Amino acid sequence: MSRDAINFLTMDHLRLFSPELALVATLVLILAAPLVFGRSSKMAGWITLGGALLTLCLTLGVAGRVREEGVSGLAPQAAAGMLILDNLSVYFKVLLMAFMAGVTVLWFIGSSEKEERGEEFFVLLVGSALGMVLMTGTLNLLMIVIAIELASLPSYVIVGFNKRNRLAAEASLKYVVFGGVCAAIMLYGTSLFYGMYHTLNVGDIAYYVVADLQSHSSVDLATLAPGVDAVMPAARNSLVISVALLCFFVGVAFKIAAVPFHFWCPDAFEGAQIEVTTWLSVSSKAAALILLVRIVDTFAAATGALPFDVQISTLSGMAWAIGIVAAVSCTWGNFAAYKQNNIKRLLAYSSIAHAGYMMMAAAVLVDPSNDISHSPISAMLVYILFYVFMNLGAFGVASMVTRRSDSEDISAFSGLGRRAPLLAIPMVCCLVSLVGLPPFAGFIGKVWILMTLGEAGGTLYWGLVLVAVVNTLVSLFFYLRIVKAMFFSDDGRDAFTPSIPGAVIVNACAVVLVLLGVVFIQQPRDMANHYANNLFRPSILRPKETRQAADHRDAVSPAAALVRRDASAK
Amino acid sequence: MENSLLTFLVFAPLVGAALVAVMPKELARVIGVAATVVTFALSLYLIGPFLSAGDASQAVEVFGSAYGDKLHFVERVPWITSGSFTIEYFLGIDGLNMPLLVLTTFVAMLACLASWNFNTWKVTKSIKGYFVLFLLLETGMIGTFVSLDFFLFYIFWEVMLLPMYFLIGVWGGARKEYAAIKFFLFTLAGSVLMLVAMVAMFFYSGEAVSASAEGVASAYRDGVTLTQGTFDLIELATNETIQAYFGSAMFLGARFAPVMFIFLFVGFAVKLPAVPVHTWLPDAHVEAPTPISMILAGVLLKMGGYGFLRMCYPIFPTGGEYWALLLAILGVVSILYGALCAMAQTDFKKLVAYSSVSHMGYVLLGIAVMTHTGFQGAMFQMIAHGISSPMCFFLVGVIYDRAHHREINRFGGLWLTMPRYGTMATIGFFASLGLPGLCGFIGEIWVLLGVFEARHTYTWAVPCAILAASGVILTAGYVLWLIQRVYLGPERPEHAAFPEVTAREMAILVPFAALCVLFGILPKHLLFDFTNGTLDQIVNSLHAVTQQATALASGF
Repeated sequence: MSRDAINFLTMDHLRLFSPELALVATLVLILAAPLVFGRSSKMAGWITLGGALLTLCLTLGVAGRVREEGVSGLAPQAAAGMLILDNLSVYFKVLLMAFMAGVTVLWFIGSSEKEERGEEFFVLLVGSALGMVLMTGTLNLLMIVIAIELASLPSYVIVGFNKRNRLAAEASLKYVVFGGVCAAIMLYGTSLFYGMYHTLNVGDIAYYVVADLQSHSSVDLATLAPGVDAVMPAARNSLVISVALLCFFVGVAFKIAAVPFHFWCPDAFEGAQIEVTTWLSVSSKAAALILLVRIVDTFAAATGALPFDVQISTLSGMAWAIGIVAAVSCTWGNFAAYKQNNIKRLLAYSSIAHAGYMMMAAAVLVDPSNDISHSPISAMLVYILFYVFMNLGAFGVASMVTRRSDSEDISAFSGLGRRAPLLAIPMVCCLVSLVGLPPFAGFIGKVWILMTLGEAGGTLYWGLVLVAVVNTLVSLFFYLRIVKAMFFSDDGRDAFTPSIPGAVIVNACAVVLVLLGVVFIQQPRDMANHYANNLFRPSILRPKETRQAADHRDAVSPAAALVRRDASAK
Repeated sequence: MENSLLTFLVFAPLVGAALVAVMPKELARVIGVAATVVTFALSLYLIGPFLSAGDASQAVEVFGSAYGDKLHFVERVPWITSGSFTIEYFLGIDGLNMPLLVLTTFVAMLACLASWNFNTWKVTKSIKGYFVLFLLLETGMIGTFVSLDFFLFYIFWEVMLLPMYFLIGVWGGARKEYAAIKFFLFTLAGSVLMLVAMVAMFFYSGEAVSASAEGVASAYRDGVTLTQGTFDLIELATNETIQAYFGSAMFLGARFAPVMFIFLFVGFAVKLPAVPVHTWLPDAHVEAPTPISMILAGVLLKMGGYGFLRMCYPIFPTGGEYWALLLAILGVVSILYGALCAMAQTDFKKLVAYSSVSHMGYVLLGIAVMTHTGFQGAMFQMIAHGISSPMCFFLVGVIYDRAHHREINRFGGLWLTMPRYGTMATIGFFASLGLPGLCGFIGEIWVLLGVFEARHTYTWAVPCAILAASGVILTAGYVLWLIQRVYLGPERPEHAAFPEVTAREMAILVPFAALCVLFGILPKHLLFDFTNGTLDQIVNSLHAVTQQATALASGF
């Protein structure tokens, strides 16, 4: 199939993007249903659950039709990459929808009785989910900005959903202000890119950026390809490029809640009701991480045509930047979690730390020197999968316990081992898995990331390995504070029987964590390898076509083409 | 069954744990003891091939001549294959882990029997939880000793942490929370560095292999070609290509072997425990319930020494040479400092705990000098300490059950009150002291001889040996003083009501006492015959590699 055919809007394309459409339909249905049947929170919940499962099924349905290098569609020729369907986006959609269903079930267990505005709650939830889905399936600057906003705006509101709660209001305000500033910075970066290159396609931008940066690098291009200076258009200032890149990544880092863009995270997590905290802790971070992976992969692919040593020098700055932010995030998150007494705040800092671990894998991705047999993307995908179970379990227990005690302090867990062993034991599994110790899945997730880093080698990556393992040690202490409260101290509170579906969910999470940590170690990895493969690459960066359409490419950037020719001549 | 004996052995306690969990709680301790007895019986079966050494039909002949004689009861299946690497479910027995394995099941059995009076403890909550965790711990311990794949080893190693944390933290004494978290943090601090070493060793061995285009022949498996890195501990130690690369490679600007050696060493030194990372031990011992102290002293400490012998030295011989002086100093300091601390204690249990630090210092010293005798002595010392130390802890436990305190100065004349107990205690503490004829003596003297043997290699060997020998005097000092204060002297009226040791307590003490004596008079037949083949192989290849390295260095 030729590129023109791919980019032409057809019914076929509508079918390929049916999951997104289903999500939109769910949104409309939640809004429209009260007009016919009257207001009912539970109905909205059921619609959301149904919508999530429908979207999941539709995603699985189109998964089989994902071709080798993914599809970019629903857009005219000029804006290729507007919406992408490839293995990675399928993976995220399935995971997100399953997680949304889980969060909805948590809501049924916890809040459904006293909640009166369920329709609004679920509209916001589904709206942010739609934003996240779009975020992970695009390589178009405008679309990225819109998707991030679509994911953020409902999140601002949903955090402050309980409007009588001063804490929630404060959290929401902080979130809005911080998010607004970050969005503005990101837009600034975006506009710089557009101003420089007159395109919104990240693939093209990456291609030009690499060509420009490399002409500024220490390698003298003239020696590689004599006469380049004469042919090449005036190279853009590398400072401007760096500023644009930096501004752009600020927006992504804000969604990941990477240090130093994490300040909203603890407050928002503490103020929001616990289902929302659960939702945000995994989904918004996972979506942003996958977006990061997509962008970084595009840039790495853009360097693919360069000679080896030029490749390294061109993007090593990006690798170091991501690596350092990752290292600082997990260190900061873990140390800050030390003194937290509020369980939601503690888990918020823990989520910052975990985002740091996952970002480490993204840092490896930048480094083009690896013919990575051990893909960093799949390591990250496995980690996200495990993280879903760990967080669903931990927040599930926390939700039931804090409701029972009407307190979010760690002391609410006191004596839980006696009061409700069916909650305390899975909680231990989830917490120890969050630390990253065998025999739980968290350890395996961490090992895959360490393996990726180890395979990449070099000072930066071995440094990250050390940071990651030392952080394991640091994090042990605060997770064990909860374990200690549950089993070692007991202030004589009443025993209670948790709700059956709630207990089933958290125990299932614990069992899954053990199984994934001991028995089924390989299967998730194999699956993730499949989904991490064949990321969509904009046509300009596809190697096969690169050779076929060399003439076309010359018109775009003579410098890079010359370099490539030179490299292939060797 | 013979082919999968080790799997049965590893998972028998786990089955017991599952049974305890589902059966009514009145049966918990019965099932617990039964599971540990079955496990012990299974482990005895391991001795068979070693008794009939030379009978090739009994042994699986896969072990090359590089280190160890042969590997027995091998189980080897690929477990996780992903991308560029394979992690294997690889279990096997040689002279190094066989005695430690039997010791583990033996101590676990007696410790489980020592838990029989659970209902009379201070904390009696959840008897089922206790025995489940106890048996989980045993699975972790056995798994650690039989795993020959680093990844598998690491998993079992970490699996022990959580049960131990709960066993100390829930059923412990007054400062149990502090002791439990301290134990967990210290051990994890060591093992995270081990994790780094594991990842690094895998990729560096991979680089060694990929340097030669068509792969490297396995050192001991006929017809197997390595095309990637490996977690196989035997391969890492015996494959010459990998060894050569490990010896010359650089890691972040430092030499690979010394760095990795120290990463592994820290992890094992915490468990051993060597000064200065020993401080978790007195706390953990004092707060843990008696059976758990027995396990800690009898088995967990041995994992440190086992780690040195299995990983640090065979895989990074040049690292061992590089750090020899530091390790020997740490060993001597542990011996002397541990003994001096023990002398200063007024808490009975804390005294025994510090004596462990002192005794395990001999293990470190013996290994550090890298001589045949030193390695043999270290190994013997581990087994001897694994017998005498749990016995001492149980002796403390017996008296604590009666007196409900452990203040040494408030005891006295117990031999008159409880003559049978007094006799057992004397055997146990004299074995710990190192009285000739009892097990402690052989280990210590062998280590000292080994250190003297190294005087041609290391100028510091003789001073170290002299200092370590003076540790023996300190040991005699605190043990004799202890016996005098607790067991001798006039009978005290407040102890008059103490009942004599029960049949159950005798059933625990007598096997320990018998082994103390037997290992003292038949060291060759009971231990050296089993272990020396493997140990000598390790030391031989150690010397070969280090001499080669020295020759290379002087050649330049």
